[in-house]
Amino acid sequence: MRYQVWIIALFFMATGFSQSGLPTAVSDSSRNKGLIRRPEFYILDWKRGTQLKRKPTTISIIVDSIGLQGVDALVDVAGRPVLYASDISTPVCADGECRLMHIRLYWTLLGHYAGFDHYPSFPFTKHDHDEFQSADYLKLHQLLMDNNSILKRRKVEELVDKPIAPKKDGADAVAGATITEVKESIVTGALYSCYTAWHLVHGGVREQIKRRTLSMMDDNMFLRMLDSNNPEYQLFALKRLNKEQYEENYKVIAEVFESGIPLVRTFIIKNLPASFWDSQEWQRPFWECFAKIDINSRSLLLNHLGKSPETVLEDISKQLGAMTKNQLKVFLGHLASLDGVNPSIWNNLRAFSNSKAEANAYIVTHFLEDHE
Amino acid sequence: MQKIRMLLWMLLVSGSMMSQSDVYVETESFIEKGGWVVDPQFVEQMGSPYLMAHGFGERVENASTSVHFENTGEYHVWARTKNWVPGSWDPPGMFKIMINGRELEKTLGTSPGWSWEYLGTVVLQSGTVGIQLVDQTGFNGRCDAIYFSTSDTRPPNSLEKLMEWRKKITAKPDVPEQEQRYDLVVVGGGIAGCAAAIAAAEQGLKVALIHDRPVLGGNASSEIRVHTLGIYGHFERILKKLDTEHYPNGSAEAKKDQEKRDNNVKSYANIDLYLNWRAYDAAAENDTVRHVDAANTSSGKRKRFSAPYFVDSTGDGWIGYWAGAEFSYGRESMDTYGEEWEEWGELWSPKEADNAVMGSSVLWGSKETETKQDFPEVPWAMPVAKQHEEVNGEWQWEFSRNDLNQIDDAEEIRDHMLRAIYGSFANAKKNPENATRKLEWVSYLVGKRESRRLVGDHIFTFNDAKAGTKFPDAVVIETREVDVHYQTVLEDAENPDFISEALFYKTPKYYIPYRSLYSKNINNLFMAGRNFSTSHAGLGGPRVMRTTGQMGAAVGLAASLCKKYDVNPREIYTGYLNEYLKLIEAQKYVGIPESKK
Ligand SMILES: Cc1cc2nc3c(=O)[nH]c(=O)nc-3n(C[C@H](O)[C@H](O)[C@H](O)COP(=O)(O)OP(=O)(O)OC[C@H]3O[C@@H](n4cnc5c(N)ncnc54)[C@H](O)[C@@H]3O)c2cc1C
Repeated sequence: MRYQVWIIALFFMATGFSQSGLPTAVSDSSRNKGLIRRPEFYILDWKRGTQLKRKPTTISIIVDSIGLQGVDALVDVAGRPVLYASDISTPVCADGECRLMHIRLYWTLLGHYAGFDHYPSFPFTKHDHDEFQSADYLKLHQLLMDNNSILKRRKVEELVDKPIAPKKDGADAVAGATITEVKESIVTGALYSCYTAWHLVHGGVREQIKRRTLSMMDDNMFLRMLDSNNPEYQLFALKRLNKEQYEENYKVIAEVFESGIPLVRTFIIKNLPASFWDSQEWQRPFWECFAKIDINSRSLLLNHLGKSPETVLEDISKQLGAMTKNQLKVFLGHLASLDGVNPSIWNNLRAFSNSKAEANAYIVTHFLEDHE
Repeated sequence: MQKIRMLLWMLLVSGSMMSQSDVYVETESFIEKGGWVVDPQFVEQMGSPYLMAHGFGERVENASTSVHFENTGEYHVWARTKNWVPGSWDPPGMFKIMINGRELEKTLGTSPGWSWEYLGTVVLQSGTVGIQLVDQTGFNGRCDAIYFSTSDTRPPNSLEKLMEWRKKITAKPDVPEQEQRYDLVVVGGGIAGCAAAIAAAEQGLKVALIHDRPVLGGNASSEIRVHTLGIYGHFERILKKLDTEHYPNGSAEAKKDQEKRDNNVKSYANIDLYLNWRAYDAAAENDTVRHVDAANTSSGKRKRFSAPYFVDSTGDGWIGYWAGAEFSYGRESMDTYGEEWEEWGELWSPKEADNAVMGSSVLWGSKETETKQDFPEVPWAMPVAKQHEEVNGEWQWEFSRNDLNQIDDAEEIRDHMLRAIYGSFANAKKNPENATRKLEWVSYLVGKRESRRLVGDHIFTFNDAKAGTKFPDAVVIETREVDVHYQTVLEDAENPDFISEALFYKTPKYYIPYRSLYSKNINNLFMAGRNFSTSHAGLGGPRVMRTTGQMGAAVGLAASLCKKYDVNPREIYTGYLNEYLKLIEAQKYVGIPESKK
């Protein structure tokens, strides 16, 4: 390690940087300014016209051989934090040779990766000094989005060359998987840059940012998070809403349910207050997405059939093909448990049972044989 | 001929709907299986082992047998089969039946759900009749049984009625013909079950090891090909007889360790090894298991095994389940044991309990050849595989979904994985780069990770691993990090639903107490393997097979003390713990003979 530091020092001297204070490598005019355009690589929504101002915080990142680098909040016109950002210059060392990488990183309010910018005058380079192409930047972005990357659990030396490194205490089969996983997820020829960037993004800064956000949390921020397109925000907010807030925001929650990822949807269905299932109005929008949502969410929704109005049963009976075999059995089982069922539902069952195109038609046929 | 008659379940029965001359043939009892495999994995769900044409796209050789017919006459013929992917395409698993060398016209494997497909009538002379199953597609056609009847009444399709009917026509008594007594009956010959059998046998117990496959090792066997992870703990000597090298999962190298393992277990004179026997029931009286009943997966012959102590190492907790042992399935809420890990939130431990579990896998691989290799179109696989392209499957090929139970729906889970595999390989074959690639091996066995977990006096949790709790009765030691899996489709509905991701937690050295290895409410039942007493997150570490092997060895030794003092498993903890721990400690000092190193 010492050897590396020495090399870096030499490198800095040769290129005119000093080790005291931040290197002044990035001369791009955007440095240390706010943000008025969508970052080049970015995972959140960006509304046109957004103007974010930079506001220093006490949060910082320690960069190897260089020292502390500050993390700023980017705040909207109302002064509310929207993002966190840091302009970082970091040495990337491989085989004793070091280069500087200049990158502007963005984090969400919860300290997750939000995106990055690079400076045209300081392109990233690979081990063989070739510059990154645009596909390479995109690949880096994808890698940084993966907070569970294999890079997290391995020292960089373990990933070089022969990444299998059969380890007795490995994962449920890390070996074998590792080769493809590492190769596929990193920019070819730029393992060290990828590794360095990943650890900057997903290092200790995350907790610091989250702590700061939590200390400033108010209802308005919850609602903005809920209404965002970011699953981390949505879950964060959903976990903290109380019963009344669920009820007050039922429309937004139903929209999040419709458009959200399966993980968010399943959380919503499992955690909706009981009052939702007592109210036809509140539960309706959830049933309306029945055929569109993922299978896991649909199974959880079916747990609430018992409290659904008959119109829901009728609607579902027109969408039998949306269900898996077991879901269909649950639905039919529910019909069988009722005292009487609307004749139009039977008609829909019959039509489905006769359909050649439906793989599960036979299940309904058996059901009709037993119950008609 | 005598043998043939024994192998076939013939019927000369009175039953009202049955005529004297009717003949019922279970396909698993076919004398020559050809390229068809016996699949006994789903007996509890569909009623019987069956034959399957597992040719990964190439037609397999005919399976054949001969059957004795008492009477000459015209027979209606039915085959119990299933179109395993119903839809708007030709069924993937089609086959025909040949009788006395003549192929019957009707194509089978065409109706959805297990049911009897009618083949029409044939005229047969009394005497020996040859029957063959003729694969048409190479893609997992399946046939459970064939029924010849002079009456035109179809056998029942509903499982319950079918079982009744079958009992009648085969005239089987409720109780197995033979009963055998042992000191210890171990069911399930995965690494855990093998280790239990060896440890007990070394202490002088007479042991029955009942295993439903032809080879030992469960997931570590050459049939599933997962390598063993974890440490040896106190049981290096025993576990080295059973474990594997660190090859990639799915590698053909698994075969080498297979031989070692089978030979080692067979070298114990006091282990009676029942390979290809599947336990189908366990009876308990006064919360004590009296006997386990098992059937041979080909001949259908049955045996009753009685013993003072039983080990459930079936992975699925079957013995406990049948005997009425308390068990759990799915994920506890994060408040149940406080297993939350904020970083992974709902993926790790949910706010509300649910039935999500780690999924099952079907491992597979392909190889480069010298010549161009074709692979058929598999439209029926595409709704699962979608655009996914792959030429090998590793541990991430995993499937669980909350409408599917890992036990009750195991056949559907396996079939879903087969569609994922064939479809992804077909996609990969479209790439000219793979022109000479050929499917080399696709397992047909479901490699499971998690299903029923039997409840013991202690429920091992993630917190026990995290804290490295030093239990007074710690008998298993582990250092391997904890990893819990989830399906990536949860994060993006566009992801393939058959790929998982692992979340890792680096723990200190941790311990599993003996109290997690016997049932809380069934007095004489041990458990070892992934069905031990643990929470969902707790299973994240110790489900790997050197750890489950340690559990097996630990209960094998405990059983020997139970026998010595005529006490139940719990009393080893309350009354004989010191002696037990000394016995375990002593395992370390038995040298490993050079030849076995
Ligand atoms: C794809 C995959 C990758 C994995 N990766 C690893 C890894 O790298 N390393 C590792 O150590 N672990 C790994 N695991 C986990 C490990 O293989 C399982 O947890 C394993 O099941 C634990 O072993 P076991 O002895 O408890 O059960 P099993 O290996 O499942 O053995 C139980 C045996 O009992 C038999 N059986 C069941 N019911 C009956 C019955 N009624 N009568 C007779 N016999 C019966 C079954 O056929 C089975 O063979 C992986 C699992 C999978 C699926």
